[in-house]
Parts: sequence; structure tokens; C-alpha cells
Amino acid sequence: MSEFKIVGKPIPRDDAWAKVTGELKYADDFSLPGMLYAKVLRSKYPAAKIISINTAKAEKLNGVRAVLTAKDVPHNETVTRFGQSSEVGKGFEGLYRVLADKKVRFMGEAVALVAADTEEIAEKALDLIEVNYETLPGVFDPVEAMKPGAYLVGENNSNIIGQFGCSQGDIIKGFAEADIIIEDTYKVPFVDHAYLETEGGIAWIDDYGVINIRVGSQVIEHFRDVADVLGLSHNKVRYIGTMMGGGFGGKEDITVEAYLALLTWKTKKPVRLFYTREESILCHSKRHPFVMKYKVGAKKDGKLVALNAELISDAGAYPYLSPWVNLYATVNAAGPYCIPNVKVRTYCVLTNNTFTSANRGFGAPQPNVVYESLMDELAHKLNISPLEIRRRNCLTTGKSLSTTGQVFKTYVALPEVAEKAWEALGELAKCEDKNRKVGRGLAIGLMSYGRMTFLHDSSRCYVRLESDGSVLIRSGIPDLGGGQVSLLCQIVAEELGIPMSKIKIYYSDTALTPLAGTTTATRQTYMSGNATLKAARKIRKRIISKAAELLNVNPDKLDIIEEKVIVKYNQSQYLPLVEVIKACNTAGIELFCEVQFNAPFTIVPDLSNIRGMTFPDFTFGAQAVEVAVDTETGQVEILKLITCYDVGKAINPLSVEGQMEGGSIYGMGYALMEEVIIEKGITMTPSFSEYIIPTAADVPDVKAILVESGGGLGPYGAKGIGEPACSIIAPAILNAIYDAIGVRIKNLPATPEKIIRALKKEYFEK
Amino acid sequence: MIRLTNNTKILTQEFEYFAPKTLAGALDLLYRYQDKNTRILAGGTDLLVKMKTIGLDADYLISIKEIPELKFIDTDAGLRIGAAVPLSHIEKIEKVREKYPALYESIKSMAAIAIRNMATMPGNICNASPAGDTIPPLIAYEAKLKLVSKRGERTVLVEDFITGVGKTIIKRDELLTQVIIPEISKNSGGAFLKKGRVKADIAKINLAVCLKREGEICKDCRIVLGSVFIKAVRAKKAEELLRGQVINNDLIIKTAKKASEVIKPIDDIRSTAEYRTELARVMTEDALKLAWGRAGGEL
Ligand SMILES: Cc1cc2nc3c(=O)[nH]c(=O)nc-3n(C[C@H](O)[C@H](O)[C@H](O)COP(=O)(O)OP(=O)(O)OC[C@H]3O[C@@H](n4cnc5c(N)ncnc54)[C@H](O)[C@@H]3O)c2cc1C
Repeated sequence: MSEFKIVGKPIPRDDAWAKVTGELKYADDFSLPGMLYAKVLRSKYPAAKIISINTAKAEKLNGVRAVLTAKDVPHNETVTRFGQSSEVGKGFEGLYRVLADKKVRFMGEAVALVAADTEEIAEKALDLIEVNYETLPGVFDPVEAMKPGAYLVGENNSNIIGQFGCSQGDIIKGFAEADIIIEDTYKVPFVDHAYLETEGGIAWIDDYGVINIRVGSQVIEHFRDVADVLGLSHNKVRYIGTMMGGGFGGKEDITVEAYLALLTWKTKKPVRLFYTREESILCHSKRHPFVMKYKVGAKKDGKLVALNAELISDAGAYPYLSPWVNLYATVNAAGPYCIPNVKVRTYCVLTNNTFTSANRGFGAPQPNVVYESLMDELAHKLNISPLEIRRRNCLTTGKSLSTTGQVFKTYVALPEVAEKAWEALGELAKCEDKNRKVGRGLAIGLMSYGRMTFLHDSSRCYVRLESDGSVLIRSGIPDLGGGQVSLLCQIVAEELGIPMSKIKIYYSDTALTPLAGTTTATRQTYMSGNATLKAARKIRKRIISKAAELLNVNPDKLDIIEEKVIVKYNQSQYLPLVEVIKACNTAGIELFCEVQFNAPFTIVPDLSNIRGMTFPDFTFGAQAVEVAVDTETGQVEILKLITCYDVGKAINPLSVEGQMEGGSIYGMGYALMEEVIIEKGITMTPSFSEYIIPTAADVPDVKAILVESGGGLGPYGAKGIGEPACSIIAPAILNAIYDAIGVRIKNLPATPEKIIRALKKEYFEK
Repeated sequence: MIRLTNNTKILTQEFEYFAPKTLAGALDLLYRYQDKNTRILAGGTDLLVKMKTIGLDADYLISIKEIPELKFIDTDAGLRIGAAVPLSHIEKIEKVREKYPALYESIKSMAAIAIRNMATMPGNICNASPAGDTIPPLIAYEAKLKLVSKRGERTVLVEDFITGVGKTIIKRDELLTQVIIPEISKNSGGAFLKKGRVKADIAKINLAVCLKREGEICKDCRIVLGSVFIKAVRAKKAEELLRGQVINNDLIIKTAKKASEVIKPIDDIRSTAEYRTELARVMTEDALKLAWGRAGGEL
């Protein structure tokens, strides 16, 4: 195609109007006659035996329609999946338990379900359920939990639920060659997704006896898991996904769906369940805290020679996606650098804390905090600029990842993005106040887009051209606010030469739309974008070939522009699109199709030494910041924030910038203030008055620089941006703080309290 | 305070709700239900939150938002503000901005506009949180409160009104009807400073100062710190260092240090005692300089 008409243009999204006018029906904006209200009884203790549960009083309460405990769940124990249809073996699949049975493993674990005529009655019923607990000691620190003899969280004889490793070269030899070695331990905390829309949905049984669940979910393929819980065949559970008010990985696991299905199955009535904010923070997944022990060695000129990393993550009380997250962390542990000698070991450990699972970045942001802090330290110690040290070590096209050896065949935008980000900071801000120190930091990174290749990922899409020239798309794609749905419309509009307004898309419905896979792993632009492109191009080809016949010209001389099939060299010669459609219909040519796009497939790697391709491709980026730190109050103000990524091709630059800006702020909260504080299994930050995220007034202008190399595997050379966008900013901020005041924070978040304490320590040591 | 059954979406408890249209009507109700579990509802931005989250209960709620007699603003001598006036109206009063900058700044620092459209000053005072933002400036400006009941009325200093966390001297049949702030003399200067975790947050620490200047001398001063003790406290020992003295930088630094020594902050979810002590010093210094400048003084 010569020139883009719609792709690459900053056009308003398909869903924009409905959202700003409030017309859009989110999961919560829906009800059914006779609907019951569900509530979840949750464990009061992080670790306890359940001696007995007595639901008799609750059941007798007027208006209560069902009270369920573990014994009422047909298959209370299954395995965690996240939508994959291929077999990946025991290394990844952990126990998924619907309701606590015999033992509770974390505070807030679901113990019983209630459905009642009103929310008030349901709440009262919870108070009437008598649970007899015998508290157990529990274990709350993953390092402690790894030790032999530690309290056992689950039923197995070890708390370690995943071990991953990779290595290349010989680190002993590597460190022997080093002129400088830095060793350090970094810690990052639990964080919450903090989406505006908490977890929730409504379920009912339709005329055909199928359980319908209307829910905000990133993974509508969980219909299979819910069916397994009930012991129903997979075609008896239908997910209708709604537009989400944020996902960030928090709606990647099952949230309310199994509870809803059980209650609607039991009562035969529609049931709704929405988590309160407190429930969302206390009881649903968090980002993994990690303890990361690193050792890096370099030559005098800054060239890296060896890296040894040991990562320990807190999986919380159940596995969920912990093994996967830890695999990502392992692959990402050496960052975007060429290092001849590398060894990485990762341990994923159960504790009696709230469970951890997917959170935007999925294991990439945590090691990035460490390796980028260490690179900065090396630069300072060797008196090399932060940009130069990265230039000397970063990956380039044709090089391979230092952890797995995966070779980069497409364009690696390093050091280009680093240079652009660093230069964009411009002149250093002047500061009169002697207590306000200005400093700058740089960080680079990489993150995969698309799922692990051994998952054999695929996406499907259906496109139909109607006789009046309008288009219908069906795609199972969930939209978490990132513009996933609109993107598909844009691709079809471009390929079929019609305006966005002539497209109607049906999305995220397991009964009616072809399964497009999960909106996770930064995979939808790549996967469903390609599936949609493939479908649109099939129809385009049929239109063009019919038009060529009618116009008596060669098909490659034709284009579809503004609803006309035009002869490229003579634009006055054309056929209206609807005429060609008519001709196709008369001739019995199919103007619809459903296609499948497959990612590259590999086999499941040896988890103790992961080698070769594990991901289809990576996105590379850099972030640079300038901060002012008040040495008396420890307050960090971000003066400039630059985000620069090679996005391949920005199909909608507005959406891409939105991801890059939002990602920066997401990571800025991680760097400076966000932490779910869990003390001995008890969450001390159960609402937004304790769990603090940046407000609009705390956010600086974010300057987004889009590099469009066209080197991605997505449609038109696009890469994924959603998760990469948030994975690099934290260490850029930490490095800027160091540059400003000479103290390095190694334990996120970098609160004013920690900065003042570090400054004081520094002062007394001098 | 964690309750797993928290429901911040709906108020599940039952209560009887009154919205009297006259002050007398409100006082009648307070008198009648004084032995019952009765609560006065102003903006509800503290009360309803507590009813939803920490299980505070009420059998009778008396809203005072529909009483015209409590909606006045009188700027003739000093300031008199009725109990039903929302904060967002107070911050728009010219006299508040010009003459009582510490009060103005404290209100501006509170929450977001939606909350300030509902919240009232008496609500902030009667809630008696150690972090309540209007309390330090009101003490610094020597504000008084009018407490009225069917039995009569009395006027007390804000400073004497609050006795502890959530504790005040108000009687069960009394209503706080107005806040009275004395006229501010010429050559006075005030300032309010606050540190939160993000913009529009509950304070880790807040403080207000008010100085009276006579030439180069500080004739009188008040330094009031919040969120560093069970209630907002005056740093009287620090005030003494300034009173009657020629003001210079060194003295301000000494005074600020003293202020940080007389407080008793704690570690909590928002901050640490160590940090609060450090900040008390830094912020007192800044606030004194600012206030002295506003009083027309030079350094
Ligand atoms: C999101 C949010 C942010 C907030 N941020 C801040 C902040 O930054 N700084 C801050 O200080 N506060 C803050 N608050 C707390 C609250 O908004 C303030 O304390 C506010 O001033 C309370 O006023 P109100 O009218 O809403 O009080 P209400 O909630 O109506 O009442 C509070 C208490 O005072 C009693 N009361 C009220 N009026 C009278 C009266 N006339 N006579 C006797 N008793 C009375 C009530 O019975 C109740 O016990 C915040 C609250 C929220 C929800």
C-alpha cells in the first residue's frame, strides 16, 4: 500500500464518544430483573485451620438464597491456566482453589459465598456464618519460607513453587577478568493495580441452559476454567466481556467469575458481584515483591564481563501466574546488554501473604530496577556518562540476549532510543534554592510483546463486508481501555478503504466472536492486529480482483480509497465500492472470512537452563528524567520526564502516546510512593487513603518520543507498547535522585522518609 | 483499622434522618435525642466515611445543611462564619485570602474541590483529627467557637475545644453554630504549610504561624503544629524565643529547632516520627520567614 489513510493517523478512538458521554455500559452498569446480590466471606487470618463452618443461621435469614462453601463446589480444586490451549506441563500449572478448604492461606481468602435479595441482606448473612478457626504460625517472608523447616503454606513439602535459571559463558572466569565488581541487594514491594473499576460482573442462565457471565476480564478464555469448576462442558459457559475500566494484569486471572457461576447455577437466578475497593486491595492479586541479589563485573572502559543474579519472589498464598512472571524476570534479568558470562537463578516462593500474579510488566520491571541502578553506579565509579556506558554495552541488531541467547533478527533500537531520550532533556534546570538539588537519570530496557512462544499462541478474527459497503468485525478481543478494539477497526478501515464510522465491531464474547486470545502480554496489536489484517486483506483481494475484471485493468494497479476502487495512475477511473460488492454478490464471491494468525511455535524449554527463543520479539525503550530533590524534606519533584520507545509503527499515535504517558506515571508511582504494606499477612493499606498513587497534580508533563522503525512483527511493522511503557521509568528516577543528592535508594518506593534517612546516614558516615 | 466486610459503596445501617429548617428545630432535636445515639451531619465527608469504614453507627442523623441561619458569612469585624458554609465558599471570600492567608492556604490544601463543596469548618474541628488542616490556622488566629443549646450558649477558644483524637468538650445537646475569628491587626502575617504524600492528601504534618510585627520586633506570635501529637499543639517554648525579640535569620532557625523538640510525633502509615521531627524544623523555619515577610518585616 502506498500511503496510509487511517493507519498512523491520530484519530479519535472508536469507543471515545461512548466513554466521554457516559453511554458505555461497563460491567457495573447493567442489571437484570430478579437479580441477586452476592458477597464473599473472607478469612480473618492469614494462616489458620478451618475447624468448622456453620452456615445454618445465614441460610435461615430472610432473603438469603444460597450459601456455598468448599463442599458445594463440584470441582473446588483445578489448575491455574491463563487461556492457553497447549500443554505446558507441571512447571507452570499450580493449584487453583475456588473456596478455602480445611486451611486458609492468606487473609481475605474466600471461605464462603452468599447470594441474597439485596446487598444489605447478603452482608448480614456474612456476619451470621460461623467459622471456627485455629490459627497457625504462617510464614511471611519468601527468604524465610525457602529455608528447610519453614512453615508450609500449602500441602506440598516445600514452599518453592518455581525455579528457573539460565546461563552462558563462565561467571568465575568473567569476574576474574573484571576491573571493577559491584554487588548489591535490591528490594521492590507489593503494588496494587489500582484500576478505577474494581473486579465484578453479573451472571445468569439463558434460555438454552448456558451460564452467561458478563464481566470485565482480560481473559475470556477462562470460560473453560469456570466450566471445569462446575463440571460442565466448555460450551455451557459463555463469557461476555465488557470494556474495562483498567486491567493492568489484575483481570488476567479469574476474579469473580467462578463465584458468579456457582451462585447462578445454584439459585437459577441472575447474580451480581462487585468487589469493594477494600476487597480489591486485600484479596486480589498484587505485583510480586522481589529480593534481588546482583553482582556485576566490568572492565575499566565500562565493558561488562559478568553478571550473576539471584532473584527471589513472593508468590503469596497461591501460585496463580507466579511461575510465568518469574520466567519473564529470569529472561529479563541481564537487561538489554551484551554480557559474555551470565548466570541467573530465580526462586518463586509461597508465603501467607496476599497472592501475587500478573501486573503490567509481568516480571520485567523488577530486575530492570536493579540492573539499571547498577549500570548507573558503574558509570559513576568509572567516570563514564550514563549514556556512554549504555552505548558501549547495549544490544544491537543481530546480537543475542545474554540470558537465553535468543538472537535479535529485527532492528534493535538501542542505543538510538537512549540517545534520543537523553538529548531531549535539553538544558539542565537552574535552581536558586540551595536545598533543592537538580539531577538527571537515564534507564533503558527491553520487554517482550506476545506470549511465550512455547504457548503456541494464536488469534482469530472474522470480517464481513455488507452489501451497502459497511463492515462487521467479530473478534474475541477484550479491551482494557488501551484502544484494542478501535485498533482493529482502524486496520479494516485502512485495508477496505472505508471510514471508521462504517464499521461495527463485536468483541469479547466467547459464544459469538472468534477467540482472539488474551489481552495480556502486550500481545493484541501483534496477534489480533495480524489476524484482522489477514482477514481484511483476503476480502480486499477479492474486491480488487473483481474490480480489475470489471475495469479491465491489472489488479496491482488498483487501490481502495474513500469507498472507491480506483485506478492508481488515473484517479478519475474508478468504481464505487458498493458496485463492486454487488458484482461480487451476484457472482457468489464470499465477502466474509474468519482467519487465524499463529505466532512462532517453540517447544517448552528446560527451565533450569532456558536457552533459545522464548518470545517472538521485544520492544526496546529508554526513559530519561530530571528531578529536583529537596535535601531538607526529601521531596522529589519530577521536572522533566521523557519516554522514548521504538514502537515499530504507531497505528494510532494517540493511543501509543497514551500508553507511554500512562506507563510512565504507573512506573513513577512504583518508584516514589506505591506500596501495599503487608505486615505478618495483614494488609495495612486497604484503601486509597493508605495506598497512595500519583494524582493528576503530581504528574509532570510527559514527553513521548516515538521511534517508528517498522521492524516489529505486528501489522505494518508495529511492536507492542502496553507493558514495555511502564517497565523502565523507576530506575531512571532512582538514578536521577542519586545524581542530585548522591544517595542511592535500593528499596522501593523512594519516599521522602527514606531519602532523608539515607541523607542523614550519609552525613554521619562522612 | 481493617474490616474485611467494609462496604464503601453503600451505607448498610439503618437510622432516622432529620433535616430541620431552623436552628431552633435542630436544637430541639438535639435536646430530645441527647441520650440516644445521635449525630450531627454537616458535609458528611468525615462522618459518612466513618460510618462506612469503621462501623461508627448512628440511630439519628441531624443534617444542619438546610438551616439558613447557619449559612451566613460576616466580614465586618474579623470573620464570622456559619456552620453550614462549605469550605469552597470560605476560600472565595476576599478577606480570607487577603487577611487570613494561613486559613486560606489550609483550605486550599484540603482534598479536591468536590469534597470542599460539601465539607465545613466545624466538621473539620469537631472531627478533631490531629491532622485536621483548618485547626492550626484557627488556633494561630485565636479563633473562637459559638456553642449553642436549648440551655443557652457559650463561646470557647478552638485551642481549648479539642482535647484529644476525636475528642472535644462539646456537650451532646450542643451545636457549634459559628466560627469567630478576631480582626487581624495591621503588621500581622500568617502562613500555613503542609506536607502530604501526594497533592491533596491528609497531612503528614501541617503547621500555621501568625506573627505581629512592631518595627524589627516580633510583638507576638503563635506557632501551631498538626499531626505531631494527639491534637494540634502550640509550640509555646518556641514562641517565647521570638516574642519581644528583634527578628533575624539565626533566631528563626533557633526557634524552628525548638519547635521540633517540643512535639511528640509517632510512626504511622503516612510517615515516621523521625521524619516528622525533621520536617517540623524545616517547615517552621519556612513558615516563620514567610509570615514575617507578609507582616512587612525584613530579614
Ligand atoms: C477524600 C477526602 C479528603 C479529605 N482531605 C482532607 C484534608 O486534606 N484535610 C483535612 O483536614 N481533612 C480532609 N478530609 C476530612 C474532611 O473532609 C474534613 O475534616 C471536613 O472539614 C469535615 O467537614 P464535614 O462538614 O464534612 O463534617 P461531617 O463529616 O459532617 O462531620 C464531622 C464530625 O463533626 C461533627 N459536626 C459537624 N458539624 C458540626 C456542628 N456544627 N456542631 C457540632 N458537631 C458537628 C459531626 O457530627 C461529625 O462527628 C478529607 C475527607 C475526604 C473524604
